[in-house]
This record gives sequence, C-alpha cells and structure tokens, in this order.
Amino acid sequence: MSFIDVEQVSKSFRINKRSAGVAGMLMNLVAPKYEKKQAVKDISFQIEKGEMVGFIGPNGAGKSTTIKMLSGILYPDSGKISVNGYIPYKQRKEYVARIGVVFGQKSQLQWDLPVIDSFELLKAIYSIKEDVYKKNLNRFVDMLDMGGFVNQPVRQLSLGQRMRADIVAALLHSPEIVFFDEPTIGVDVLGKETIREFIRELNAQDQVTMLFTTHDMQDIEKTCNRLIIIDKGSKMYDGSLQSIREKYGTERRLIVELNQEEELEGIEGVTIDNLENRKKSLSFDNNQVNINDLMNNLLQKYSIRDLTVSEPEIESIIQKMYNGEV
Amino acid sequence: MLRAYLAFAKKSFLQKSAYRFDHFMGIFNTILRIFIFWEIYQALYGGRAEVDGITMSMVTTNFILSMGLSVVFKVNDFYLPDKLQDGSIATELLLPVSFHGRMLASNLGSSLFQLVFHFVPALVVSVLIMGMEAPVSAPMFILFLVSTLFGYFVLWSISFLMQMMSFWMLNVWAVMTIKDVFVNVLSGSMIPLWFMPNWMQGVLKFTPFSYIYFTPVQIYLGQLSIKEIFIRFAMQAFWIFVLLMAGAFFWKKGQKKIVVQGG
Ligand SMILES: Nc1ncnc2c1ncn2[C@@H]1O[C@H](COP(=O)(O)OP(=O)(O)OP(=O)(O)O)[C@@H](O)[C@H]1O
Ligand SMILES: [Mg+2]
Repeated sequence: MSFIDVEQVSKSFRINKRSAGVAGMLMNLVAPKYEKKQAVKDISFQIEKGEMVGFIGPNGAGKSTTIKMLSGILYPDSGKISVNGYIPYKQRKEYVARIGVVFGQKSQLQWDLPVIDSFELLKAIYSIKEDVYKKNLNRFVDMLDMGGFVNQPVRQLSLGQRMRADIVAALLHSPEIVFFDEPTIGVDVLGKETIREFIRELNAQDQVTMLFTTHDMQDIEKTCNRLIIIDKGSKMYDGSLQSIREKYGTERRLIVELNQEEELEGIEGVTIDNLENRKKSLSFDNNQVNINDLMNNLLQKYSIRDLTVSEPEIESIIQKMYNGEV
Repeated sequence: MLRAYLAFAKKSFLQKSAYRFDHFMGIFNTILRIFIFWEIYQALYGGRAEVDGITMSMVTTNFILSMGLSVVFKVNDFYLPDKLQDGSIATELLLPVSFHGRMLASNLGSSLFQLVFHFVPALVVSVLIMGMEAPVSAPMFILFLVSTLFGYFVLWSISFLMQMMSFWMLNVWAVMTIKDVFVNVLSGSMIPLWFMPNWMQGVLKFTPFSYIYFTPVQIYLGQLSIKEIFIRFAMQAFWIFVLLMAGAFFWKKGQKKIVVQGG
C-alpha cells in the first residue's frame, strides 16, 4: 500500500436552499429545502513517502475539502483514505500527532498571545521534547526570518508574518507529512520566495511528504515535481509537471527581431503577429512545425538580429485545462 | 499527555484573570444576588424562628453556598457551538488531544480561578454581612466537598450533552436558556428545595438537578444520614455517567456531520 492512499473518496454538503424575502424565510422555517452539493467526487490518488505534490484546481474544486478529509477533520461519505497506515477520521488523535496542516485562511495561533507563547502551548500539547523543540524552533525561525516578530502578539502581525508563524506552528512537532492549503495566499513576492525555499528544503532534507494547494503556478513550478489537478470535485490530471508541458503545452512561440523593417512571408502552420520595434511573433504547434527547420529557413531569408524561443507558461496551460480546451 | 490538558487549564485560568474590572463587578454582583434573596426570605420569615422545620440561617447557608458555588460551576455552554459556527472546529480537531478532555480542562482552569478569586471573597463578605451555619462536623465537611465535586460534574455533563445539539441546530441559544431555567429553578439555588411541594421533591429525585447544589448543601447542614449520603453519591455518579455517555454518543454521530464553515 502507498504511503498516502485515497480511494474513490466522495464528500457532499447539504446546502439550505432558501428563496429571498420574508416569504422565503417563512417557507424555510416551515419546510426547509436542502440541496446536495457534491464537493468531491470519486477521487483516487496515491502518494509515496517523501513526495511533494501540488494539488490545484479552480475555486470550489474541492481541494480544501479533500485536505480536510486527509487531515481527519471531515468524514468522507464514501471511499477509503489511509495515510501511513492510519485512517485519519477514525484514529484522529493518534494520527494528527504525526501530521502538520497549514490552512492559509485559518490561523492556528492564539490571537492575543505573542507568537512564542502559542509555540510553547503547542510544545505542551504535542509533548515535544525540549531539545527537539529548541532545535526546530531555532532552525525554522532562522529559515523563515522570523526573529523580528516572535515576541509580538499574533493580532499585530502582518498577513505574511502570520503565515510564516503558522507554518512554523504546524511543523514544531516534526511531522512526517504536511498538508498545505494555500500557504502563500496574500503573501508578497519576497515572502512567497522565502516560503517556497523553506518548503523545498524541508522536503529535500527531512524527506517530509507534502501536499500543497495554491492558486499561484509559480509556487508549483518552484516546489513540486508532481501535479494533481481537480475540477468540480473530480480528478482531471495526475502526473509530472514536465509531462503536462509535453502533452498539453505543444504551442511554441518564436520571437524574431529583424535588422530592418520588412514583412515576413506566410509560413504554413505558423501564425505571425507584428510586435513593436521590428519584432515579430511566430506561434506554431511543436508537433506540426519543426523548430530547427523554421529557424534555418528564417535565417537564410532574412537579416535577423535576434531569435528567442519561449516555452508556454504552465499558467496558460492550466488556464486552458480549467476552460476545458485541452 | 496530561501536560497538554494542564496547558489548556492554565491558559483558561490566565484568560480569566485578564479582565480585572469585569471580575470585580462579578464579585459584587454575586454578593448582591445573595443579599437580595436573603432579604426576600427574611421578609417571608417575618421574624419566625423556623418554617417547616427550616431555620432562616439554614436558608441563608443554602443561598450563600449554592449561589457562591454557581460561579465556580459556571460552564461555557457555547464552547462547542461557537467552534462549529466560526469554523475553528477545524483547527481544534488538528490537535492530538481528546476534544472532550480539552473542553473539561478549559473549564476546570476557569473554575479554579473562580473558586479562588470569586467564590472565596464573595463568601467572606456574605458571611460577614449575613452570617451562615458552620459545618456540622469535620467528616461531614469532607463529604460535602466530595459531593460538591460530583455536583460540579453533574452540571458540566448536562452542558456537555446540550452542547452536542449544536451539530443538528444552527442556534442553540434557546436550548441553553431553557436549560438554565431548569437548573436555576430546580437545583434549589433560587427556591430552596425544602419549600417545594412534597410531590415535586419526589419528582426531582429522579432528575439530575437536585444533585448539583442541593445535595452538597444538605450534607453540609448535616441533614442526611451516612446511608442517605452514599445513595446521593451513587445518584450523582449515575447522572454523570448517563449524561456523559449520551453526550459521547451524540458526539460520535455529530462528528460525521461536521462541516467546516468558511474555506
Ligand atoms: N461548509 C460547507 N457547507 C456547504 N458547502 C461547502 C462547505 N464547504 C465547502 N462547500 C462546497 O464544496 C465545494 C468545494 O469547496 P472547497 O472549499 O473544497 O473548494 P476549494 O477547491 O478549496 O476552493 P478554493 O480554491 O476557493 O479554496 C464548493 O462548491 C463549496 O461551495
Ligand atoms: Mg480552498
């Protein structure tokens, strides 16, 4: 069995359907109407120990719901979940002692206490040994550059600072598995880079297994090798970042800068657009047009100052996937 | 493991001490309440030595003890309901502790604070103003302490069970208000149960309410024989067990219904 094994898991929520106005309110009081909202539909995947997996999908896709089931908070309606031999929702107490969870949108820290007090409380709750606690705390505070604010009450922290404190809080007990649900939400570019670097190092050095949701493709590109994409509760893709590029990202763009102003002749399978300053953009499908032939062809015919090939952004591929274009 | 629960208790103890002004107002409020009931019953007694074999000083003792203890026994009835409403149940469940244990530990922490810094001062001032019976004997006083502890858990277990209703109800405010009415009226803290009609006293024996404050008060006053005292202990233990079991049953059912509000 795999380290994390999710088998045909489904979860639905009951949503109270209420029409507007006083009449709607009264009707709802007498005969409430409920609608079932399927948040997760028959999802299956396996994750091995030490893997770092990006878990993405549009808003409402069911990512957070899946993470909550994996962390033992929600019961699945059907299907099986097993993580390192534990059934999260059945063996919650023993299980959660071994995992760490970061909800970017929900802080686990004590609002009115200094950050360090929250950490001390967690030390007691998880019965973390003094030396382990000290070692982890010093290491994480250093890596995440938190020295300046560990003594500040949580309510006085900026969003980015709070997020870093929350990440440390989830890791003090040296969990072997960590679930991140949008750990970079609302964090600035520099802060995001720090968090990514931290996550990468944790995975590389400590072999911590990670599942990571985000809406920022940069997060994924810079941390994960593997990607699971879900939409409307169903899994759409599960594989490496590389193969998603190969499979779906066959569009290439060649930017040509000419020495003098002139028009390019039409080429079969290539869309030509004029950019500023004698620059042209040539887009084509990698499978239909051979890029070397195309470049040779151009170099022979025109006087060219510069040529650059651009690979498609993973962002735009995902965009297309969400839109159902691929 | 115990360390975790001690930490929770300590936290709620410290949280209680954060609001100093509220705290002093609370003590004043408790003394005032005892005083008002004392005045009412003095007027009702109209100078008589006793009514139905109950002396005014026994009535005073009942009010001071049951109203005083009620500030120690106070349970946060919205501990679970609030966490379900604002979605913080999610982060609660991520902690490797029993949620029930955590509920109890938090309550014990604030109760300890209330005992030392609310009950004791209120007791001293009330006794100075109104006087009170001394315990009949040292052994009885110890038995009184035991039954007080049981009484605490009876009330806590009632709240525990009622809080589980919040899995099925969006708002448990009404339920808690009704519960409070039952507790206040039927536990003897407003009308000493001696003055209830006989049939009512008979019925109350089969509810948990009289075992919260009234049993300890009766033991304190030496009204119960040793045999009766042990029957009361058994009844207290019985109610604690039944209420906790029922609460745990609904918790198990309810846990499957948890949805996390917001993200
Ligand atoms: N407590 C709830 N009650 C009712 N429906 C819910 C609840 N929580 C989530 N849902 C529904 O379940 C679906 C999946 O929600 P989920 O939070 O898992 O999405 P997500 O992929 O995390 O989205 P996002 O990227 O916006 O965070 C949504 O349609 C949402 O409306
Ligand atoms: Mg989400």
